[in-house]
Amino acid sequence: MDALIVTQAINVVYAVSTLAVLTLGLAVIFGLLGVLNIAHGEFVMIGAYCAYLTQSWNWPYLVALPLTLALCALLGAAVERIMIRPLYRRPFDTLVATWGLSLLLRKIAEAIFGPGFHSVTIPLPGTVQFLGIEYPIYRVVLIAVSFAVAAVLMIWYGRSRTGSRIRAMVSNPELAQAQGISVRRLAAATFIAGTCLAGLGGVMVAPLVPVQPFMGLDYVLRAFFVLVVGGLGSVPGLLSGAAAIGGVDSAISAASNATDGYFAVLVLAILFLWLKPRGLIARG
Amino acid sequence: MVSMRQGPNRRTFLGAAAAGAAFGALPGLARRAAAANREFKIGLFIPLSGPASLFGPTDRACAELAAEEINKSGGILGRSIKLIPTDAGGPPAETAKSAVRLMLEENVDLFIGSHDSATREALVATVKGKIPYIYTPVYEGGECAFNVYCLGETPNQQAHPSIGWLAAERKAKTYYLIGDDYVWPRKTNAETKKYIAANGGKTIGEEYVPYGAPNKFEEVVTRIKSAKPDVVVSTLVGADNVNFNRTFAGFGLDKNIARLAFLLEENTLLGIGADNSRNLYSCMGYFANVPSPANTKFKAAYHAKLGPKAPQLSTIGVDCYAGVNCAHALVAKAGGTNGKKCMAASEGLTFKTAAGPATMRGRQVDKTMFLADCKGTQFEVIKTFANVPSGSACKT
Repeated sequence: MDALIVTQAINVVYAVSTLAVLTLGLAVIFGLLGVLNIAHGEFVMIGAYCAYLTQSWNWPYLVALPLTLALCALLGAAVERIMIRPLYRRPFDTLVATWGLSLLLRKIAEAIFGPGFHSVTIPLPGTVQFLGIEYPIYRVVLIAVSFAVAAVLMIWYGRSRTGSRIRAMVSNPELAQAQGISVRRLAAATFIAGTCLAGLGGVMVAPLVPVQPFMGLDYVLRAFFVLVVGGLGSVPGLLSGAAAIGGVDSAISAASNATDGYFAVLVLAILFLWLKPRGLIARG
Repeated sequence: MVSMRQGPNRRTFLGAAAAGAAFGALPGLARRAAAANREFKIGLFIPLSGPASLFGPTDRACAELAAEEINKSGGILGRSIKLIPTDAGGPPAETAKSAVRLMLEENVDLFIGSHDSATREALVATVKGKIPYIYTPVYEGGECAFNVYCLGETPNQQAHPSIGWLAAERKAKTYYLIGDDYVWPRKTNAETKKYIAANGGKTIGEEYVPYGAPNKFEEVVTRIKSAKPDVVVSTLVGADNVNFNRTFAGFGLDKNIARLAFLLEENTLLGIGADNSRNLYSCMGYFANVPSPANTKFKAAYHAKLGPKAPQLSTIGVDCYAGVNCAHALVAKAGGTNGKKCMAASEGLTFKTAAGPATMRGRQVDKTMFLADCKGTQFEVIKTFANVPSGSACKT
């Protein structure tokens, strides 16, 4: 009985940390640039297909990281230049444009890889013993990496010069421009960072899920819920949103069943949209 | 006033009526004249969008292969078959709307459907038996609506023999059921529980995950681990089935617990992957690698038509091949698409399938079932059950 409770508790931690990492990309693009990137999930998918390619070419798994970063940066730069730049501050138009982009990316993946499932072998198979229970090693590593990525990003955003420039751009673009910050270039870099983070999330989850053209749909909705609950534009907001959505879902799924867990997530998201639309931690 | 206006009024009316009648009659006459040599239109409902669309290309290719073969030998009642592939991957109500459009605008003669049971129920309620509707995939059994014919595996064909085998060969006593939350898994599990009890086993858990939601399975797998069943029976579909089985093996449960899945075909197994398929069983009416003479012949024709990049064959796809052949046999025997005549003709009807000739009884199909052990990403048939009855007999 104890082992059951401990394992379920770790499941909650796992759900929260992976959800946070899978939301990072959207948090950057939506939270800082105000672009509701519906194609977020498709960048996750691109990361997962990069992991699949790396493995089918018999390269070490970590090669997937530079491959994904390069591909997502290239694609992110092109999308920002062609599609997003003319549409900044037109939230509904960016929503429709990125929705179209998501369809296009999905169809391209289908044209290259076919509509079927692909499987990526777990790079660290097996389980590890701790706290009197057995847990899959890869998931433990994933929890650690997720926390590390979030922590590094939080410190970097709070302390670095680029971080303070981004904050200046977000709070008042005209004033930032007048101060000599190239808002256009900074916005492009921020967008590219968002797509790269989404791709990174894809590389991380690829060994756990079926890799297929539709997989992105699973991530964009949950990521959006996290931002609705947590609030836009801060790392603590993102983490509290992930804790609320991922935690509630996982805890209720563990205590009762998955249907109740999903129901609770939907209720939570609706309540926040209705009663607290700025989320738990609104941008200061 | 009345009489003054009567004359011209009546004449105008008669003239208009005559013109109207002529206009109305002409297209009608033309339609009837053309009917003798017009095409036999089949509305083919397959998933072209959404997550189930991975089955779409095979469904379509198999149906087209059958139509081509039939057209070469004279078509249906001398009319060549025209397939109208229509998306059934969206919400059931959308598919039902497409059915209305196909009946009113395209005047289709017959429907063939390969989609989930929720969509089937919507289509049955919409079509109301006006034209024959052949439902091809694995399903929960018991569909007896007027002028509806079911070809897929039923719980009696999947659960009955496989649970019996697990109880006898693996000495399985305790079972845990996991499925997607909709009509097929729930009804199939209701039957499965009867067979578990009949074999002296015990169902120690039964749960469902929301259908179509982005599910993850760490919590479910942890619960199963603590319940320690001998067998897990999965009625999860597609990506959920892949996700569950990968998580199950990731937590190391594949060493001691057997898994039996009721919708596990070639595509799903590729997603589950070789590392996660230990102690995993599937019971279906068709596996692409079964070396029967009929299947070898079918595969040769399939690959000759589609070349080396042909979409992956599986039971879902080849049932569409059976569907078109069943339509051919049914309409030929009944001499048309009249509901009552088709119902009568269906009893004892034999038609071609990829696995060999099939016979329809009670508007369902008795099948030879294969129990397969997953070896890597290949199915290895370990037991064949000949002529398993569908378990449902509908009035004909």
